[in-house]
Order: sequence, then C-alpha cells, then structure tokens
Amino acid sequence: MRGNGFEPKIVAFLCRWCAGAGADLAGTSRLSYPPNAVPIRVNCSGRVEPAWVVEAFRSGADGVLIGGCHPGDCHYVVGNYKTRRRIYLLQKVLAEVGVEPERVRLEWVSATEGARFARVMREFVEELRALGPLAMNQEEKALPPQGGVHA
Amino acid sequence: MPKVAVYWTGGCGGCDVSFLELGPKLLDVLSQVEVVFWPALVDTKRQDLEALPGKAIDLALINGTLRTQENVEMVEVLRSKSRYVVAFGACAHLGGVPGLANLKSREELLVEVFGGGFRPTPPPGGPSEHALPELLPQTLPLAGAIPVDYVVPGCPPPPALIADLFERALAGDLPPAGHVFGKDKAVCEECPRKKEDRKLDKIVRPHELQPDGERCLLDQGMICMGPVTRGGCEAACPKAAMPCTGCLGPTPKAGDPVLAMISALASLVRAGEEGEAAFSAEDKVLDSLADPLGTLAKYSLPSFPRLARSCVPTPVRRGP
Repeated sequence: MRGNGFEPKIVAFLCRWCAGAGADLAGTSRLSYPPNAVPIRVNCSGRVEPAWVVEAFRSGADGVLIGGCHPGDCHYVVGNYKTRRRIYLLQKVLAEVGVEPERVRLEWVSATEGARFARVMREFVEELRALGPLAMNQEEKALPPQGGVHA
Repeated sequence: MPKVAVYWTGGCGGCDVSFLELGPKLLDVLSQVEVVFWPALVDTKRQDLEALPGKAIDLALINGTLRTQENVEMVEVLRSKSRYVVAFGACAHLGGVPGLANLKSREELLVEVFGGGFRPTPPPGGPSEHALPELLPQTLPLAGAIPVDYVVPGCPPPPALIADLFERALAGDLPPAGHVFGKDKAVCEECPRKKEDRKLDKIVRPHELQPDGERCLLDQGMICMGPVTRGGCEAACPKAAMPCTGCLGPTPKAGDPVLAMISALASLVRAGEEGEAAFSAEDKVLDSLADPLGTLAKYSLPSFPRLARSCVPTPVRRGP
C-alpha cells in the first residue's frame, strides 16, 4: 500500500447536500479511508470555479476531488451538469500544460453513500500515489526566484 | 522637452507601426517630445543609450516579449535610464503570442525549429563577440525582468489608448503607477452586437461561419473572449465580424482569462435537454473547441494560466 512512501495531498470540494453529507456518513459509520484529503464544503458542486482547482494545485495539492449530487439529484437542479462540463474542459487545458487530467476527479456521491465516498477516497489516493507528486510543484521549487517582479 | 525612448524586444514590430494609427495626432506628439532612442525610427545604438546619464529618459515604451538574454540586458539598461517605463502591447504586458512557446522547453523549441543537429552551446573557446544571445528558458513579460510603471495593452494597442498615454504624459497628469490604460469593463460593454439567450450547440472557428451582422458572435458559436477581456478598443474586432481574441488582457475582475472563459463556456454549452443522456453529446460540443489553450490563452500564457511552468505574476510596480 505505502510502497513509495509518497502521501498525496488532496483538496476535496464537497457539495453540502450530497457528497458532503455522504462524507459525514462515512465518518459517523466509522468507515475507514485514507486521511489525505482536506475537505471544503461548498453549497453546490456548480460553485467550484476552475480557478479554485488551479489554486489548490498551486498551493501544493497533488489531486483535487469535486463531489456533487448524482445526475438528476442536484439541489439546484443543474449545478452538477455545469460543473461536469467545466471540469471536462479544464482537464483538457490542464493536460496541455503538463498536469495529468486524472488529478482532477469528479464524483457523484449521494447523502446515503458513505461507503461509496470511502471507496472513492481509497481509489483516488491509490491513483495519485501511482502518478506521484505533481511535477509542476516540484519544478517550481527547482526554479530560481524571478528578479524584479512586483506582484 | 520630454525625452522619449521606444524599444522592441521579442515581438513582430506591429507595436512600432501602431504609432502611425494616431494619424495627424502623431505629428503633434512628435513636435512635443524628443526621441532619444528608437531603433525602428532613428539610428540609435545600445552605446548611445548607455552613454545617457541615469533617468535621462522621461518615458520609455517597451514592446515585445523577453525571449533572449540580450532582451533582458537592454530593458535593464532602459530601466536604469528612464523615469517611467511602459509595457507597450500584449507581449510586454502578458507575454503575447510568442509566449505560447512556453508550452515547450527551450531545447524542444530549438530542435523543432532548427532540427536535431542544432547545438545551442557556444563554440569551443567560449562565446565570441558575434555569438548569438542566449535564449531564456522561457519567455517573460516585461515585468518578469524589470519593474514596470504603466501598461498600454493590446495587440497592437488601440490608437485611443496610445493617445491617452501621450496626452496625460505631456500634461504632467500621469495616473498612479500600476495603471493599465484601457477600461475596467469588458469588451462586451462596448460591443453593439445583440446578446440573446445563449445556448451553444456548436463551436465554430471564424473561417467556418459568415456571422450574422447583428447578433453576438458568442451566441453564434464563435469563441469571443469579449466577456473576460478589458475594454478600450471600442470592440473593434466584433464590429468587423471577428471574435475578440483577448489582446487587451483580462478585466481586473476576470482573473485568469483561460479559467474564466472555461466557466463561461461550460455554462453556455448544451446538447438538447440537460441530463445524463446528453453528457456525451455535450462533450462532443466541447471537443469542437479547437486548440483550447492556444485560443483561450492566446496572449496570456506567460502570465496567466497560473498552472503553466513559467508563469510570473502579472505587472506592475508600485511607485516610480
């Protein structure tokens, strides 16, 4: 399991109505899953902006999970459809700049699916472990600081 | 008489030509300034520039991206000789079209352009005085090397913005450092085309469509960057039936134009009734966006998709 000693860092944006509740259920059911994710509750997966995903990577995340309601179940009717199209496009752009698209994962988890949430976390951690640390963040550290830039 | 310098690093030369768009106003401007350095216009060399005392230049307009070590050396000299430095045009502002080269490493680029036999190293015995300047590992916007006071954006900058800069500079009424000439509102605010109920069931490239004269180009399926792009150009491209490509850079609120546009497009795309059954058809619509990064980050790659390898913070310096 922990062959290479690399523990991926994950930022998980979970919608309040489904995936977030599912994560709570996994906890209250005392299901065991890897503790690699920092969960951030959002009202709807449709609220997750591509800029947040990028910010998570820039802040050192190796993977980003977006958890929303199953198709047809969105509390706001179409938020999860919007985020699905958004993530699809974002993954294409990420691939072009050298970030593996599998590092962004969109999952539908209902409020009753604690076991599914735990399984998703286990799978994602395993996948990220196989991918290794995000190369971009490693390169960043290797680059010398840029002179004269006034942010 | 205020002393002005204009310099061109890694660009196409279009910015130098753009001054002509001022028309008769250019004669007014030229009669009120002294051009001390402008290689595209007058015979001035690096030595002439180096011979000037510090801060001898009042206003230095620098266009082009930073591609070589020589570019960096020249803009450093210009910075030390100038009171105000202006990043002039999209390349100096954001990295520009040449900035798309940052998708490849320097070594990959050299092999792509010159073939496998190219040796980027200097000849044995060290670099001679005639050696080519070294390529930087990545292209940089001007602020990646020196502090920048103002930005005149655009590819090339619209004449109204150039005129605004000169008028304010000559009147001694320059805005606080860090100002980007142009509007804070989006190109759409200046665009006369009619916006309707936006639903995209196809994405087309400009050559694939003769657009309707009145309707919003984005509504008609063209990728128009107007919603996320700074106004100031009077929507010149959409008025001429070409979609905005984002040359004035993002509005202050849009942030990264690539990511903002991804959000916008994802909200617009439809393939019939929304739902699981439409997912694969929706993906096909999104797949019809050719060259996503080249389209959405046409001018901004070295500055914006903050996920790119070489991204440096966008301008600009505080205080002269």
